[in-house]
Amino acid sequence: MSDTVRTAAVGRIRRGALHVGDAAHAASPTPRPRKRRGRVRLRLEIALLTGPAIIVFVGLVIFPVALAAYYGFYKWQGYGPPTDWVGLGNYKVIFTDPTFQQALEHNGLIVVLSLVIQGPLAIGLALLLNQKIRGRALIRVLIFVPYVISEVIVGTGFSLMLQDTGALNDALHNIGLGFLATDWLANPNIALWTLMAIITWKYIGFAVILMLAGLQSIPDELSEAARIDGASYWQVQRHITLPLLGPTIRIWAFLSIIGSLQLFDLVYIIWGQYISGVAGTSTMATYMALNGRLAGNYGYGSAVAVVMFLISLIVALCYQRFVLHRDLRGAVTQGVN
Amino acid sequence: MMKKTPAAAIAALGLGVVLAAAACSSGGSSSNAGGNGGNSSSSTSPVTLTFWTNATPGPGLTFFQNAVKSFDAAHPGVTIKMQAIQNEDYDGKLQTALASNSTPDIFFQRGGGKMLAMVNANQVAPLTLTAADQANISAAALAGETLNGKVYAIPMDQQPEGFYYSKNLFKQAGITSTPTTIPELEADVGKLRAIGVAPIAVGAKDAWPAAHWYYNFALRECSQATMNAAATSLKFTDPCWTKAGNDLTAFLKINPFQTGFLTTAAQVGAGSSAGLVANHKAGMELMGAWDPGTIASLTPNQKPLPDLGWFPFPSVPGGAGDPSAMMGGIDGYSVSPNAPKEAFEFLEYLVTTPEQEAYATAFITLPVNKAAQSVVTDSVSISALQALNKAAYTMQFLDTQYGENVGNALNAAVVNLMAGKGTPASIVSAATEAAAKG
Repeated sequence: MSDTVRTAAVGRIRRGALHVGDAAHAASPTPRPRKRRGRVRLRLEIALLTGPAIIVFVGLVIFPVALAAYYGFYKWQGYGPPTDWVGLGNYKVIFTDPTFQQALEHNGLIVVLSLVIQGPLAIGLALLLNQKIRGRALIRVLIFVPYVISEVIVGTGFSLMLQDTGALNDALHNIGLGFLATDWLANPNIALWTLMAIITWKYIGFAVILMLAGLQSIPDELSEAARIDGASYWQVQRHITLPLLGPTIRIWAFLSIIGSLQLFDLVYIIWGQYISGVAGTSTMATYMALNGRLAGNYGYGSAVAVVMFLISLIVALCYQRFVLHRDLRGAVTQGVN
Repeated sequence: MMKKTPAAAIAALGLGVVLAAAACSSGGSSSNAGGNGGNSSSSTSPVTLTFWTNATPGPGLTFFQNAVKSFDAAHPGVTIKMQAIQNEDYDGKLQTALASNSTPDIFFQRGGGKMLAMVNANQVAPLTLTAADQANISAAALAGETLNGKVYAIPMDQQPEGFYYSKNLFKQAGITSTPTTIPELEADVGKLRAIGVAPIAVGAKDAWPAAHWYYNFALRECSQATMNAAATSLKFTDPCWTKAGNDLTAFLKINPFQTGFLTTAAQVGAGSSAGLVANHKAGMELMGAWDPGTIASLTPNQKPLPDLGWFPFPSVPGGAGDPSAMMGGIDGYSVSPNAPKEAFEFLEYLVTTPEQEAYATAFITLPVNKAAQSVVTDSVSISALQALNKAAYTMQFLDTQYGENVGNALNAAVVNLMAGKGTPASIVSAATEAAAKG
């Protein structure tokens, strides 16, 4: 029974994907023989519609990246034009610096832990909130509130609450759980988990909203049909909802990975400029701020930025190529058929 | 229809390009105009000066507003445009201005290695002081703003570092006189802990307050010549640097600081190190001369702490440094190389006695003009001032003295040591590793 359900579901995804692909295919400027005037008009239209976006993208993304790449080849303190060419010297220092390796390790852990902790939690919450339960709207709002609060406020709040003499330890003492009170932020064995708890609290709302939207686009007919065939609630979720939620989950995972790789503000505010390395929560971005901006080594900092950019780019490209390709087929590549 | 659309599209696209170009060029020309206007102006034509300070809203900012107003009034045709920039944002913003040749005519100068970098890049003007200026400014403070015999900034005040402590808590703990040696300080730490307060508060989250402990041990262990030599060589091979690290390690063994000091900020909130002193939760803290003002803003009634006292960093037995030597900061102001001469005249005006008196009152600090020191009346500042006037020599905070890069590395290394993750030798090697990055 459940097998038939699965085929039906998968079949639907395939068809949907093909459909999207065809639409993109038709709209793309394929070298089909056409009248010249039509082609010019089409090109102009494309230029007009993409022009502003391209100008902004080149000016605010590509150009700064190119500049960072240029500065990354120099030892440069930021005064006047860079003159002290060191070639790949900065990159050599970066990859041999143990503190950078630690930061990279932390980033990797945060990527994995975010996916492992937030993913199932978000799907579970979304399934729950997709039910007709009392106070659903309120719970939805409450879960989404942390995501809306600015990182600075969240960071400041948690750094005050989690101090040794802060609210959390105080509360633990007052309810007789004083033995649990600990140094949540500075203890290297705990700090990363504290960070993960804060990240989960902060970003789970976003994941839940995404999953809810994904759930709501799944037609009820499928689960109704399965239920008529005798599928239990969990069977329906496992074999219909989850596969159909796939594209949403994959997109969320992509956003989560990129966000984890570039994590900066929460760590920087809660642990300050120097303590994150000691506490085991430093990330590539805080390493960049400490060794580039705070040390006044703008050339070196630019090189770190380039490394971060390349790592994010490679991860993003691999993810698109190997994971997202079935969702994006036809939308980013063309001429498959 | 078919014909019209492309034409309209071209027009629209063209307009967009023109607008974008106009936006770019106007941005460029306005900054050029600022620079050129500064160059070509003479005292007769109207002059507009840009002036950046890190003074925060309150009496300090009001002082500068008044000074600008009275200077403008006394110099017809001169207009000073002041911009106050939040202290932690200041360096990044100035750096951007320096790199894009839009340096303000007068700007707050941190000094030390940062000033050296600006001098090397010809981004700051050497100043020729008159005899009157030299009479107004204390020689020790001026020496801190001098490089290779040239003065590059006019100092406003001196901020010697020492211990700010609660007299009540000391009395309660049975401490009759302030410690003059490290063993005495260690004994007092024990007495303070016995009455249930944190003996010493330190805001290690900001790193520099923790690093200042190492710097002061270094001040006691290293001779003046060694410390000055390190400023140019940036080599920390003299054994005194490791000895200072050993001193700090030994001192840490008695757990002198509050619990959770690694995540304690220095100046923000009641839980900060200044806040702990302000609320009688900690006996003392090592801090610069701005501390009474910071502590005052963190007491329950936001008034100065009535029982606040001051004593200098204790002597270290056997150290090569003079026991009276003091570490401190100097707040100064520099002039950009393109600035009109009125910019320097404004700085000369700021060190005259009446202005210095107003400055010292507004910032609760020690003015560089000795004639203005009479306005320093509170007992805490007077004891700091007396120690400063008696000091054999003063040394800038080392993270300023040795430049951003090495200073930053030293700060981070000291925090590591305090967290139990480093050794005294790793402080020395951190400075060497930093050189590879900048």
